[in-house]
Amino acid sequence: MAHEIAGERTSIARGRAQEDRQRWLLPILVVLLALAMLVALGMGAVPLPVRLLMESAVGMRQLSDDQRTILLAIRLPRIFAAALVGSGLSVSGLLFQGLFRNPLADPYVIGSSGGAVLGASLGVFLVPAVSIAGFGTTAVLAFAGAMGSIMLVYWLASVNGRTPVVALLLAGFAVSTMLSYSSYFLEVLDHDFGQGMHILSSWLHGTIAQPTWPQLVIVAGMLALGLAGSVPLARRLNTLALGEEYATHLGISVQQTRIAVIVIGSLLTASAVALGGLISFTGLIIPHILRMMLGPDHVRLLPATALAGALFLLVADTTARTVIAPAELPVGVLTAFIGGPFFLYLLRKARREVLS
Amino acid sequence: MMPLLEFDRVGFDYGEGSLLNNISARIYENDCIALVGRNGIGKTTLLRLAAGILAPNSGDVRLKRSALRSLKRREIARSIAFVPQNVEIPFSFTVEQFVAQGRTPFLKMFGGLGSADREAMERAMALTDTSFLRSRAFNELSGGERQRVKIALGLAQQPQLLLLDEPMQHLDIGRQFEMIDLIGTLHDEGIAILASMHDLSLIEGVFPSVWLLSQDEAMRQGSPREMLQPKLLESAFHCSLRHRHRLMEHIRNRMEQAI
Repeated sequence: MAHEIAGERTSIARGRAQEDRQRWLLPILVVLLALAMLVALGMGAVPLPVRLLMESAVGMRQLSDDQRTILLAIRLPRIFAAALVGSGLSVSGLLFQGLFRNPLADPYVIGSSGGAVLGASLGVFLVPAVSIAGFGTTAVLAFAGAMGSIMLVYWLASVNGRTPVVALLLAGFAVSTMLSYSSYFLEVLDHDFGQGMHILSSWLHGTIAQPTWPQLVIVAGMLALGLAGSVPLARRLNTLALGEEYATHLGISVQQTRIAVIVIGSLLTASAVALGGLISFTGLIIPHILRMMLGPDHVRLLPATALAGALFLLVADTTARTVIAPAELPVGVLTAFIGGPFFLYLLRKARREVLS
Repeated sequence: MMPLLEFDRVGFDYGEGSLLNNISARIYENDCIALVGRNGIGKTTLLRLAAGILAPNSGDVRLKRSALRSLKRREIARSIAFVPQNVEIPFSFTVEQFVAQGRTPFLKMFGGLGSADREAMERAMALTDTSFLRSRAFNELSGGERQRVKIALGLAQQPQLLLLDEPMQHLDIGRQFEMIDLIGTLHDEGIAILASMHDLSLIEGVFPSVWLLSQDEAMRQGSPREMLQPKLLESAFHCSLRHRHRLMEHIRNRMEQAI
């Protein structure tokens, strides 16, 4: 009995703590993201001290032309790209977890990243010159690929409106493996496109390439659209967690909501994949950690997930490009190394919640 | 007096032979009705039809003279709340977040909870005596607590009619008494109730009327005294004469226990 009461108290304390955390977490994430960007700007083959950056920003010192080029043409785009990719993957992970009613869903695990890569590869090989328009086509095809694969996995994995963990993982595994290898197939088919091959191989490893500003603008637009579209969906996903029938009764049109989640989640996945390729586990870990801190309310989770995802991948990518400098590690390898064990740890720790 | 909800010659099947046939019945404002019948006879289906979750194959279900099929789901959910038997949620929502879902039919596309919504939630939790559970995780509650919290979600919809699917199931006798008290409280609040009931011994003294579904005949309606008769129950529940005495003995015993 005493034990029961103690359990009750910790449970109540947890509910309150989640509300308190919500208040300070967002500003802290904003500050951390800004700091991380500043530090990441300074890091690389040519170090630019933070102090120099600060002083040049307020006009006290002039940067040399080389420094300026490094800053504006290399580092800044890369940093924005990492943040955009992280945000896109994490928010689509959050949406997919709500859609599948399953905390293990993630764009990589369920194969929508794989679909996006296949779509994007087709774009690269069909429109060999990677111009702005070419990138636009790539992004559109990545979007189509992501959407096709998630619909396939959803159809394969759902049993009476629920997606059991095992069914989800098996369907996701099968579909994403198939898609990844069909991307390799493209590679074998076509030896002529040196550029395309390079892009494809970096996608399959999850590397954030050196994006141009127009590419960044396209992706930032897609991300902004996706985030705006997620806002009205967040509350619906809470209701959908009660199950299809109950949500229907409460006035949610389940089918419309599902389609909207698939479209917007795919848009976010595609925007991330177009810049970074197959980056594993980010979309799974970030919503998961935040859910442990803030509770499962999607409305609370959405802004925090967008920020934390950006922060996480920025730190990961900066590490990936500096840890064995001048060579670069694909960031996908790094997230797999950090994310895999961490995820397994979470799985063991919260087995009841995750697998029930 | 205008009925709140009306079944007008309602028929329904899931595509494998007719389940409910030619059901006509009315629920008025202050009704408190137990829905009784053997397993698989269509009690839950009848509740789903009443909630507008299912549409009848023939006939109409009408909410204050307008057919449910012509109303928007949101409109229906503001007048009728359906409390399902089992709710499984994959994430550990708190009780408060769970009850807040009852406000869904009132929220605008981008809107959050306003003060009217909070008031409705507080009232729902106060009536069901679940306010003290608000920060607990729904998934960690006991069966009795869970049942009350589910009803709180329904009450947050501020319904005129509450549909309860087996509200007493899996409750120990103490929790059953709590549920009986709660149903009494809701009745006093002027909320009409239609509840499917498994345990016949818990009906008398709680529900003034009974709807008895049986396979071969039309649905019967009446007071518990009229409906819970050996002869009717026997044909409704398909038990032979040999067991009749034992059945009544059982019911009598349970009633005495309940007193």
